Amino acid sequence: MDLDLLVGALTAGSLYALVAMGFNILYRPTNVFNFAQGDLVMLGAMFGATFITLLGLPWFVGAALAMLAVAALALVEEKIAVAPVLKNSASSHGWVITTLAVSMIFANLVGLGWGPDPIAVRPPAPLSTDTFELFGANISSYQIAVMVITVVLVLGVEAFYGTRSGKAVLAVAEDRDAALLRGINPNRLSSWSFFLGGGVAALTGVLAAPVLYASTGLGPSLLLKGFAAAAVGGIGNNRGALLAGYIIGLVEAVAAALLSPGYQLAATFAVMLAILLVRPHGLFGRAEARAV
Amino acid sequence: MGDAARALIGSPRTRPALLFALALALYLAPFAVGTEYRLFIATQMAAYVLVAIGLNLLNGYGGQVSLGHGALVAIGAYTVALAMVDHQWSFWPATLLAMVAAAAVGAVMALPAFRLSTWYFALITLGFAEVVGGLLTEWRELTHGFAGVVGIPKPGVLGHTLTSFDLYWLALSLNILALLGMANLLRSRFGRALVAVRDNPVAATAAGVSLVRIKMMAFVVSAAMAGLAGALFAVQKTVVTPDDFTADFSIFFLLMVVLGGAGRLWGPVVGAVVFFLVPELLTALQSWRMLIYGVALLLLMLYAPHGLVGAIETGWKRLRTRLGLSNIPPAPSTAIARETVHPIAGAALSVRDVEKRFGGVSALAGVSLDVAAGTTHAIVGPNGSGKTTLLNMISGFYPIDGGAILIDGRSVVGMAPHRIARSGVGRTFQTPRMLPQLSVLDNALLGAFPAERQGAAAAALSLPRARREQMASLGDALRYLDFVGLADRAMEPAGELPHGQQRLAEIARALVGRPRLLLLDEPAAGLSLAELDRLGELIAAIGALGTTVVIVEHHLELVANICRSVTVLERGAVLASGTPAEVFSHEEVIAAYMGSHSSVGQAAS
Amino acid sequence: MSANDLLQVSGLEVGYGHVGVLRGVDLAVSEGEIVALVGSNGAGKSTLLRAISGLLRPSAGRIVFAGQDIAGQPPHRIIDLGLLHVAEGRRLFRRQNVHANLELGLYGARLDRAVERQRYDFVYELFPMLAERPQALAGVLSGGQQQMLAIAQALMRQPKLLMLDEPSLGLAPIVVDQVMEVLQRLRAAGTTILLVEQMVERALDIADHAYVLQNGAVIGSGTPQAIRAGDLIRRAYLGALSDREA
Repeated sequence: MDLDLLVGALTAGSLYALVAMGFNILYRPTNVFNFAQGDLVMLGAMFGATFITLLGLPWFVGAALAMLAVAALALVEEKIAVAPVLKNSASSHGWVITTLAVSMIFANLVGLGWGPDPIAVRPPAPLSTDTFELFGANISSYQIAVMVITVVLVLGVEAFYGTRSGKAVLAVAEDRDAALLRGINPNRLSSWSFFLGGGVAALTGVLAAPVLYASTGLGPSLLLKGFAAAAVGGIGNNRGALLAGYIIGLVEAVAAALLSPGYQLAATFAVMLAILLVRPHGLFGRAEARAV
Repeated sequence: MGDAARALIGSPRTRPALLFALALALYLAPFAVGTEYRLFIATQMAAYVLVAIGLNLLNGYGGQVSLGHGALVAIGAYTVALAMVDHQWSFWPATLLAMVAAAAVGAVMALPAFRLSTWYFALITLGFAEVVGGLLTEWRELTHGFAGVVGIPKPGVLGHTLTSFDLYWLALSLNILALLGMANLLRSRFGRALVAVRDNPVAATAAGVSLVRIKMMAFVVSAAMAGLAGALFAVQKTVVTPDDFTADFSIFFLLMVVLGGAGRLWGPVVGAVVFFLVPELLTALQSWRMLIYGVALLLLMLYAPHGLVGAIETGWKRLRTRLGLSNIPPAPSTAIARETVHPIAGAALSVRDVEKRFGGVSALAGVSLDVAAGTTHAIVGPNGSGKTTLLNMISGFYPIDGGAILIDGRSVVGMAPHRIARSGVGRTFQTPRMLPQLSVLDNALLGAFPAERQGAAAAALSLPRARREQMASLGDALRYLDFVGLADRAMEPAGELPHGQQRLAEIARALVGRPRLLLLDEPAAGLSLAELDRLGELIAAIGALGTTVVIVEHHLELVANICRSVTVLERGAVLASGTPAEVFSHEEVIAAYMGSHSSVGQAAS
Repeated sequence: MSANDLLQVSGLEVGYGHVGVLRGVDLAVSEGEIVALVGSNGAGKSTLLRAISGLLRPSAGRIVFAGQDIAGQPPHRIIDLGLLHVAEGRRLFRRQNVHANLELGLYGARLDRAVERQRYDFVYELFPMLAERPQALAGVLSGGQQQMLAIAQALMRQPKLLMLDEPSLGLAPIVVDQVMEVLQRLRAAGTTILLVEQMVERALDIADHAYVLQNGAVIGSGTPQAIRAGDLIRRAYLGALSDREA
């Protein structure tokens, strides 16, 4: 196999896995799949670009501010678009439309505020997007960093689910009433998860910016590819999302090489549908509990 | 307000006349104000209304959010454009092809929705719309790429080429037909089944509705209507390009439905009208348009989930309440309901060594029982002894881990629950599974689903045989509501009935399916003493019809009064079986119930 | 009602939608007692417990626990006051292991490590079968072990009042014996218990006081001896027939 292609696939796949992890973080305590998640990532990229490229803040400061800003926006989303819907009925799917509406609002506010032109973002020194040869493949230090950071983040978030708060999140996901009877407040966990998921989304955006540029167009495509990674990996399963992210990245790269870049999305979509038809709960997911 | 106003508001007769006048005005409008531009906009709007009516079936009634209807319109439009321009087809067969193509793609798109949650479908359709949008430019050999398809001819009829007046009339007629067809379809077994699948899939399955087939019908009908709209779109614009079908295009249709009123017949029409009027008023705010749509969508979902039509309905009801008018429509003529109910040939049930495990816990460990055709049998036992699990195995809701279940000698092991229901097994649930928004009568009519034979097309066209069948079902439903004593509450929303009456309504629904075997899960739980007496009489009357009844019940006196035989379960095994008198004098049975040897329990014998 | 009532419920009404389930329930639980609440299915026993623990909002009436009106409070506040509810059907977190389930019992308690350690030791000593398999997933335990784990989970908060909803559900008699024995030991250690049980005799065997619920209302109460002597149970379980014969 062409090793350059593999490098590109793993880099893109890492980003898709991070988007998917953002979905999962919100999904676990709320059973809500945030349609505005792609826009949160896009907002992270735009805030990062503004703070780092336009205002010239140090990379880490800019990234931290972007995460804080997007986390706060995600919290606002939870308060105005998700909590009111779930309050009426915990099993309602009204959030599909309300989070979609939030996605439209975010995307168009960014369009009005920042304009349509993409903004370039430099990676933090000493990292660089200049490639060098490693084991016969052209790779940049920044690509290596993205892959490593992704693995570390996935392991870090998984470790969080081993803490008492993390176990409480899993408890809410499994049996909301039983969790209530143990003093767990699902509404609080839901707010925290949106805050955290917003932060992860922003970090994803900041990390993606040097590779993909920061632009409003980032939202929809990352929404779909992140969804593909989350669905193939099994909703709620972050390690599955990491592997699935790599799979999606590879499918995309191979489709671009064999067919044409225009067929990337179609190929990804076809592979995802094929996998979901055979394994509806993803490669690493599990079926829901019995219904009656 | 005066009596005249009250009479006007109270009268149901004014509506058809108003609608007829509206249609006539719309047909005649071009003669008065028909400029080319206005006709263009009006025809385009009519095409959009067609898509929205179809989407409303899927979204408003079926509960599935599609973000890909724009792509289905694109498929219809490109099919017609390419067939007419590249292959010189005439408009009419090209339109048929467009509908088939859109329906086929819609069906493929729907496949994952059968096994996954609603929101997956929303995302999959969103992705599908992106993919189609991409392919329109990429697949140049087929679609001509960015340039699109130009020079699409106007349709012709018998040598006459349709003018823009004709196209408007065609589009308007299609809208009226679509609305009438949709109204008929929603009133038929399909409309009820679709709402049941959305609101209570378990109740739908127990009534013999195949979730897959009903959802597939909604997808296919909805997609075909989008394809038809695409055909109109193509010949009206004479040019189709990828730019016509952006990602926002699909969102527009969703917005029309939500704005006008999802799950309301007139919702998409009202939504489309507002949707076309508002941009005219907002031309100064062009760049804010999508933002405004986003805010509107959010506010509507939060504050008016049934859109403008829903809000008007709520206001109307309040007005009527203030005027002292009832909001409950009159029941259909009950003359047909008073015929006697017909006897039913009961089925024999045989359960052999049935086993079931949940995780580490054995729920049923080799349970056997026999119920002779036409008799009433009770399953009793402490909570957690496996009674409801056994009912769920007989009706196919749980897969069986071992053993056999025979109904009239035929094995039902491995059959899907809706097929078991269709073969004549009715059931009720511990907590009544009603469709709270539908009337009690509609809930009962759901039970007639398997008995009716009409297809979706016959229902939409309201063919005479479909109408006859519907009248027969209506008669059945009223008859059985009368039988359980609920005839006077037939038109009330089922969710507003007290618990005990919901139970009775659920029994009526099961009876409308004329079950040969009826499974009742704790029908007496939570009933008052007076209701309990009536329930006993009712079950005895059901038994007298000939139906075999299996009842899970705690209320031992009820069991003793109405059952010929009893099986006692404890911890997933049969503890005793026999006549009520034999079983209830059994020491172990008393112990199982009361926890230890007791003098109290002997009162049950 | 007396001064040492830990829990006082008065005039409690709860409805689902248009349907009233509890119609003015009065009940009191004195400190250090086991109080049994019996009645047939659908009488409203579980609804009463769910209202007391804050899962359901009452439409009328008062619930006073340890001197505070808790009606309408969120569940986590009520738990902080020391009122724990073990729900019907062994509602554990089946995909998490025994130890994690116990840890979730400590959620929000904010205790020292040493105190937490004592709590674990206490429940593992009370239920040696759990100490043997701390890493087993809750979902693979037997029914009896799951019930023990559910009780142990609630005990991690050292409740003043423990409410149990049908702990005998689906258990073998010998396992029911073990559960009842545990409840008696807890009472001896000072825990007050409100026990909902359909196995009337078992509940009356260990109770100090009992209430009989029918159709969402208390139809009688008294000592187990008095309840056994009267015909309340017959009426509650057997309904109209015994009324007519009486």
